[in-house]
Amino acid sequence: MRKLAVDVVVIGGGSTGAGVVRDVAMRGYSTVLLERADLGQGTTGRFHGLLHSGGRYVVSDPLSATECAQENAILSRIQAGAVEMTGGYFVTGPDDDPAFADKFLAGAAATGVPAQEIPVAEALRNEPRLNRGIKRAIEVLDGTVDGWQLVWGAANSAQHYGAQILTYHKVTKIDTVDGHVAAVHCTDLKNGEDVLIETGFVLNCAGPWAGQIAAMAGAHPVDVIPGRGIMVAMSHRLVNRVVNRCIYPADGDILVPVHTVSIIGTTDVKVDDPDHLVIETKEVQQMFDAGEVLVPGFRKARALHAWAGARPLIKDNRVAASDTRHMSRGMAVIDHTTRDGLDGMLTIGGGKLTTYRLMAEHIVDAMCDKLGEKRVCRTAEEDMPIEGAGPNYVVTHRLHDREHDRLDDQIICECELMSRKMFTDALAEQPKGSFDDLRRQLRLGMGPCQGGFCSMRATGIALASEHIDIERATELLRLFLKNRWIGLWPILHGEQLRQTALDNWIFSGTLDIEHLPAAESEVVL
Amino acid sequence: MATEGLEFAGHSLSRASLDACVKCTICETQCPVAAVTPLFSGPKYVGPQAERFRNGASVDHSLDYCSSCGTCTLVCPQGVQIAELNSQARAVMKADHMPLRDRLIGQTVLMGKVMTPVAPIAKAALNNKPIRKVMEAVVKVHADAPMPPPQSQTFEGWFRKRPTPAGPFPRGPVVFFHGCAGGYFEVETSKKSVEVLEHLGYQVIVPKQGCCGLAQQSNGLFKGATKDVLKLCDDLRSAGKDLTIVSSSGSCTGMLKHEAHEIMGVDDERLKDVGTRIVDMMEFLLDLHEAGELPTDFAPIGMKVPYHAPCQLKSQGIGKPALEVLRLIPDLEVVDSGAVCCGIAGTYGLKKEKYEVAQAVGKPLFDMVKETSSELALCDTETCRWQIEKSSGVKTEHPIFLIHRAYGLS
Amino acid sequence: MSRVVVIGSGLAGLVAANRLADGGAEVLLLSKGIGGLQLGQGTVDVLGYAPQRVTNPIKAVAEVAASHPYAAIGAQGVLTALGYLKELAPDLLVGDPEANYHLPTAVGALRPTCLAQPSMLAGNLKAGSSVVVVGLRRLKDFQPELIAGNLARTELPDGGRVSARAINVDAVAREGEIDSSGLTFAKAFDDPGYRQRFAELLAPKLSDGEIVALPAVIGLMDRQAHADLSAKLGHPVFEIPLPPPSVAGLRLNQALNARAQAAGVRMVSGVRTVGFTADGDRVLSVRNATVPAEREYRADAFVLATGGFEAGALAMDSYGAVTETLFGLPLVGTENTPLIHGDYWGAEQPIFSVGVAVDAQMRVLDKGRPVYANLRAVGDLIAGSTRWAEKSGDGVAAASAVLAADSILKEL
Repeated sequence: MRKLAVDVVVIGGGSTGAGVVRDVAMRGYSTVLLERADLGQGTTGRFHGLLHSGGRYVVSDPLSATECAQENAILSRIQAGAVEMTGGYFVTGPDDDPAFADKFLAGAAATGVPAQEIPVAEALRNEPRLNRGIKRAIEVLDGTVDGWQLVWGAANSAQHYGAQILTYHKVTKIDTVDGHVAAVHCTDLKNGEDVLIETGFVLNCAGPWAGQIAAMAGAHPVDVIPGRGIMVAMSHRLVNRVVNRCIYPADGDILVPVHTVSIIGTTDVKVDDPDHLVIETKEVQQMFDAGEVLVPGFRKARALHAWAGARPLIKDNRVAASDTRHMSRGMAVIDHTTRDGLDGMLTIGGGKLTTYRLMAEHIVDAMCDKLGEKRVCRTAEEDMPIEGAGPNYVVTHRLHDREHDRLDDQIICECELMSRKMFTDALAEQPKGSFDDLRRQLRLGMGPCQGGFCSMRATGIALASEHIDIERATELLRLFLKNRWIGLWPILHGEQLRQTALDNWIFSGTLDIEHLPAAESEVVL
Repeated sequence: MATEGLEFAGHSLSRASLDACVKCTICETQCPVAAVTPLFSGPKYVGPQAERFRNGASVDHSLDYCSSCGTCTLVCPQGVQIAELNSQARAVMKADHMPLRDRLIGQTVLMGKVMTPVAPIAKAALNNKPIRKVMEAVVKVHADAPMPPPQSQTFEGWFRKRPTPAGPFPRGPVVFFHGCAGGYFEVETSKKSVEVLEHLGYQVIVPKQGCCGLAQQSNGLFKGATKDVLKLCDDLRSAGKDLTIVSSSGSCTGMLKHEAHEIMGVDDERLKDVGTRIVDMMEFLLDLHEAGELPTDFAPIGMKVPYHAPCQLKSQGIGKPALEVLRLIPDLEVVDSGAVCCGIAGTYGLKKEKYEVAQAVGKPLFDMVKETSSELALCDTETCRWQIEKSSGVKTEHPIFLIHRAYGLS
Repeated sequence: MSRVVVIGSGLAGLVAANRLADGGAEVLLLSKGIGGLQLGQGTVDVLGYAPQRVTNPIKAVAEVAASHPYAAIGAQGVLTALGYLKELAPDLLVGDPEANYHLPTAVGALRPTCLAQPSMLAGNLKAGSSVVVVGLRRLKDFQPELIAGNLARTELPDGGRVSARAINVDAVAREGEIDSSGLTFAKAFDDPGYRQRFAELLAPKLSDGEIVALPAVIGLMDRQAHADLSAKLGHPVFEIPLPPPSVAGLRLNQALNARAQAAGVRMVSGVRTVGFTADGDRVLSVRNATVPAEREYRADAFVLATGGFEAGALAMDSYGAVTETLFGLPLVGTENTPLIHGDYWGAEQPIFSVGVAVDAQMRVLDKGRPVYANLRAVGDLIAGSTRWAEKSGDGVAAASAVLAADSILKEL
């Protein structure tokens, strides 16, 4: 049993938790963040990649629109390396109502979201794959963001201020004494050790799981409705700007270029269990159809990978329970004192990634109020990392870097231009990491071959580094391939099916990987 | 029109074809440039792989080592237009800083017209080492690069000045496209081609004709190339509707058949018309033979000759017709080179910084030629012939020379 | 002379073309690329797992289910094909139809195969052997620690284990390059001087009696490279095949292509065959997507050796519809839905067993009747096998090709 004592425990390692722990640490509190998996494996790692200009909400949710516009500008500055300033378009499709664009422009003006109508010819020249039949086009300041770089940037900043970031630590119990939070119990999943953390305050940032965490402290049920959405990544950038349909928000109306892929999304279906998100065939077909409207020939383009994430939406009396899309995307801070007679815990629900910093500011302000302390938020003023945020991300980065070091270092993941040094550096930082933990940092296996060529190389290098033994190495390889398949099989067709055939030929046909010896004892991965 | 070719280069169907890449590495194993230098990272790398990382301005200058030989597209089992992708990416890359040299090399007609009246002097200058060294320093064309041999009389000059053939022409009219080399530098190839066609009973029409633009296109000068190729289409169409167009310039034929469309996106009815009617000389003879219409009363030629199928002929997807036709000549043993590329790749091998690479690329071919024959080698395209002859020391001619001889015309 | 068109230059297509030319037919081999042999490991599988490890492949062939291609082909068909393959590439394919080799793979598994290259045979390990796996630092596709680690904890088919360790040497394939392909290494190993220097670099690191495992890059053209290196080292050496680019596969591809050309097979490659014309129950011609106008090739008989999904011969669109992409032939196996399931380490994906049905002469069938009297399908296109898992693709390809060719020669 390990013991810690901190002022504040933050539960949940998504964008909310990462933003909160940074703010808490910067305001001088001792703090620890607990996350049962890797950072950003929940909603944050499964989102669209969009740094909203606010355009999407100018008509449907004006408050959100304004907040997005402001936070977009802040994040592009302070987390520049995680953000690509792609710009965006709102386009009126051939069968959409052209009058909505006027509502859009009026809403943009009213909410302070920068937007400008441009000639359709200009939009088509800039984005040659766009549907030639679009009727209007409006330019906005959408950007795209790597969710994992975002959360790790905030987490690293928090560590700089003394916070501890404990991934693979699963919360099991929250102790209360006389109606006040006293301690949090968790298990270190990597070694099975129990950890007891004495604390006076818990910030529940567990997103779709916030209800489960609140229940551990004995609170009344918190109605967090997981709204499942699927996303499909297409194998290359069909567009270089975010392209939105200029309509009232609907399914599949955005195509987002993130790193080397373009992502179409999304859907919105109420589900019960955020740990079991299914990628439904019907929804996949819906996304392909939606893609055809924006980029004719979409169904002939190569669908690479799909995933499902759950929006953490707080039940709201304004909207029917089954329609989660139009529930408030605004943030809700639940104070358990009056509601549950429980002091020392706040639960936050709702929100979107673009405004994660603002959400954190609100919740930490609320905490300071409860503690009767006046500590000011400075998260908007300081860069991540503290030495300077550097330039914004551009998709040409890795090509440029490899151009310079190609003759000095091997390229291990060729699809995503990941060098050997990038891999061994990440390994040294996370010697007990799974290949997916490393993948989230490096994009290993996220390109067209989906690990077909790089998995074996990575396994060998990890083993040669002596951080792991042969049993662990082999099981990590098996797990990596198994996990890749989760996002492949629901969308597999056309050229990606052809790739899978070649990958199977290599793994099974040539390497006979399925007949590798099994581990003699259980390997904790 | 000005930027249309480059805009096509930036975002085209070739880019979409990158989706077909499954990383099988077949293209890399066949690339003749990657085989000889680590400076070129290979077609898979600079094509479908790097393209996913490009957004307008190129950051990968190693792309310039691609010779556009087209072998990668040819061998790709999935249908990725790798060579086209690379050509386009390179054109975009060079758009802002096109070297003067690349603009000059592209002007093949200009070179020909300028060189012809002063041919003996031009020839001497081209063979004069100090002058070549100066050329190398100023224009960056390598001092040892095979330069076209200038002739005293152009082909069109010969064609118009000779006595008109009497006929009859039982097989009717056929148009002959001579290309810049066949017009100014390798006039003998064109002459022999016309004579064989007439021997077969065709009335050969040679309209005044310009350049197909290939040299400019392969240097990324899409604007000039497009202008030239469409003008050439007008020239060839002026000879008459629906006529077959025969050419002994393998690479020019490739430009008209598919490259102008696939690399530069030229989508003109005139190009479609000409592209459909044009055939390579040996392809024309093989088609006649398959139809049972080729006289095979060839006199024996007791020789063993190496034959090299040029990249731009292979990429037309018609196999190696010259091999089939030559094997009809009694006593003649034709040995297929089996080599991928001679290295010249149009104008690539002329360039100072590419010369060594080009020589390394062609070495297996030069060695094979020397081992097979010291007298004669055969190849369908002009720049390849100059490269092979210069680097192997063996006289290299178009296959039509042996057909001409076997028919008793020389 | 009668003309036959073979479409596809993988193992099945090359075997069919060679067999037809040897039998006196005029053969035209059409192919989009240069065939898929260089993607594979350069050996010939007959049957490796059924589902247990197979030690006698010919015996196992006789015991397959009725729906398996081997049922129509028969054990004799496989034996004939293996004999023919050894004729086609005598210095590259050796083995016994009644005894599989069990050879280490590049992740350290032990993989059954029937005919292998002589340079691989010392990898058919005996219990109690000591193996040293030698990695080349500049070759990233060969990870010696992974191979040695897994080999050491594997039970051999006959019982017992080997001991295995890993070392690395920094051999330079090409100056100035640190990320070299296997092909670049293979060309270096073609040079006896290079082999000598390599042996001098490696020999001091070897212990007595050790068997040396190297990546399959010991020469591309020089068939004596392996024996020479082994002699210079004074140790037995075996090669382990790699993922693409597979030099071992390239050797076999080059050998079979050269043999086909020497036999007079005419080859047209670089463009896809996209269409056909037929009259009644006979195919008259196929059409190549030559630009700008297609070219037509007429023949008396046609052999479809176009492969499976990896070659684009079979495809599934975004709606889930599966087709054979050249002739639109009827497929069997599409009823085994779901064709693709989510259990990666579970049963084989049914989609990869989809293909065409054939009779004993390899003619394509539709509900038991030939679609065209002169159209045959060979290799991966035939339904009913799980070629990668059971390690049967090469045997099916070669045997179906020989049967198809022989039946055509009888007809003509």
